Amino acid sequence: MTMSALFGKNSGTVRAQQNRELLMLTGFLIVIWAITTALSPRFLSPANLSDILLQAAPLGFVVIGQMIVIIVRGLDLSVASIMATVAVLSIGLNDNTGVIFAVGILLGALIGAINGYLVAYRGVTPFLATLATMIVLQGVRFAYTGGAPGGTLPDAFRWLATGNIYGIPVALILLGVVAVAAHWLLEYTVYGRRLKLYGDNPDAAYMTGAPTRLLVVSAFMISGILAGLAGLVLVGYVGIVDNWTGRGYELDSIAAAVIGGAALSGGKGSVPGVLLATLVLVSLFNIVVILGLSIELQLVIKGSLIVLAAAVYMRRSRR
Amino acid sequence: MDDVIRMTRAQPVHLVVLALIGLVVLVGMYSSDRFATPLNFANVQDQMVALALVALAQTIVILSGGIDLSYAGALGLLTVVFASIAGEDPSTFAAAVVAVLALGAFIGAINGGIVTFVGIHPLIVTLGTSTILSGLALLITRQPTGSVPLFFEDLVYGRFGMVPYGTIFTLVLYLLAGFLLWKTRFGLRVYAIGDNEQAASISGVPVKSTKLIVYALSGFLAAITAIYICGRFGVGDPRAGVGFDLKSITPVIVGGTLLAGGRGGVLGTLLAVIVLALLANVLNFMNVSSFYQWIAEGLIIIAAVSIFVGRKSK
Repeated sequence: MTMSALFGKNSGTVRAQQNRELLMLTGFLIVIWAITTALSPRFLSPANLSDILLQAAPLGFVVIGQMIVIIVRGLDLSVASIMATVAVLSIGLNDNTGVIFAVGILLGALIGAINGYLVAYRGVTPFLATLATMIVLQGVRFAYTGGAPGGTLPDAFRWLATGNIYGIPVALILLGVVAVAAHWLLEYTVYGRRLKLYGDNPDAAYMTGAPTRLLVVSAFMISGILAGLAGLVLVGYVGIVDNWTGRGYELDSIAAAVIGGAALSGGKGSVPGVLLATLVLVSLFNIVVILGLSIELQLVIKGSLIVLAAAVYMRRSRR
Repeated sequence: MDDVIRMTRAQPVHLVVLALIGLVVLVGMYSSDRFATPLNFANVQDQMVALALVALAQTIVILSGGIDLSYAGALGLLTVVFASIAGEDPSTFAAAVVAVLALGAFIGAINGGIVTFVGIHPLIVTLGTSTILSGLALLITRQPTGSVPLFFEDLVYGRFGMVPYGTIFTLVLYLLAGFLLWKTRFGLRVYAIGDNEQAASISGVPVKSTKLIVYALSGFLAAITAIYICGRFGVGDPRAGVGFDLKSITPVIVGGTLLAGGRGGVLGTLLAVIVLALLANVLNFMNVSSFYQWIAEGLIIIAAVSIFVGRKSK
């Protein structure tokens, strides 16, 4: 089945709308960067820009996974808990970088599969299924660590998060590879088309013979794997394993996905869009710090932006 | 309509939760002599009033097919405002109560207004407002601040025999909410909208205004909770609401109310709050660390929704 058979003349308008949204986000990013640079020249310094990008990297992984789950009408509240649990467990078990990553990816996939099973096969609302796994994982990792996580970070591991190749941070290269792969998967494969079709209309997807339940499970597994990766990258960046690694990422990732054009009603979302939105969010946090505004204002700005962005997109997508 | 009325009354779900309560009490009695004492039960009741109040608000919102995640920020802001206005002087107490109740209803109305008139998913709206509200609370103060008059603290800590006043107050509110949901036109509309918003709209239910009132009511109940919390702690804390957003949903779901709306009721929520409070109490008596209590809580949610949801889905 080709994509034109599935989407026909509609795919053109969907693309056009996505392009408009990308332009709007880019414009918004340029405006806030310009204003901040005018107020504080320090903002555009290479050191600060690289800070922004490095801070955006872990969130970027999570956002891509979150978006894929949202495309199949899901929601993943457990991502932050997965980040911390994967980091605490895989680093606690071993101090070989390769093994840490292998264990982390497997663990993320397993947790994602549990989420997906509950949603697709048990009919549990994604919100509740992932809320429950979030709480269970929290208990598991605190019980495992007894409240104080341990383990040493190998040098190679830290290099993955803070090192660079020809001046390009390794974490960003990793994110780039994942982003390109995810983009290709979503836009150029039958699998990606089926994900979006399922989000648009689950019954129609079922009629075309798509294995709908496995689709949903796979989406949650991708989210779990990417959250696990994000947890490892974030720990590598910060240099410390913590039971609360990634706290707040569940809501930030949902916000970035929605601002980036993913619709909570399913079927819509693009990798470039959500990555731009991630950059916008992280820039806003950074700006508050650079301008010396109080951290509390960050919350007010973030909350307003989430509602505002949702309002803009809701108006657009309404027929 | 008969269907709707029947669904709100006693259900197998309630029996299951009652059986759970019995089980937890038995385990509790087995694990400690001090468990089944009036003093301990009064203690458990003190622990659960705040959660019971927020869960009541959440039940009404969820019945209407929505969700309210703004309590985390709202409770923080409302306690700070209340404790700041009230102070120790009894003369400003009434004014503070009225102001905070109005503020709570106003916050709820904003949530409801954005949900209904702009048409954004309530999850996103209330997540956004929650973030804004906790930002505002922290802008006012970073540390717990203000105070409440002594007579109010006495009232909140007061007991009628071995029954805390807070329990009686909570029961009265649950009865009122039950009456509102089961016996009034407004209640039927809430159920109808939660069951099928489009069908409700077509049959002439004023969907928008009803939803607006539901969210305003939710904010109003959050304000009552905030005042109670101030009475317990004696101060307003910008972080008082942390965790209440998700915590308020657990008892609603365990009590058999469907997250999709339209089915369930306040009785199930009340029973579920009792189960959860007793369970935490018993696990404490058994010296189980709070780490394992989290695991138990998560597994209970999964078990509850798997059982209840399994019946409805295809």
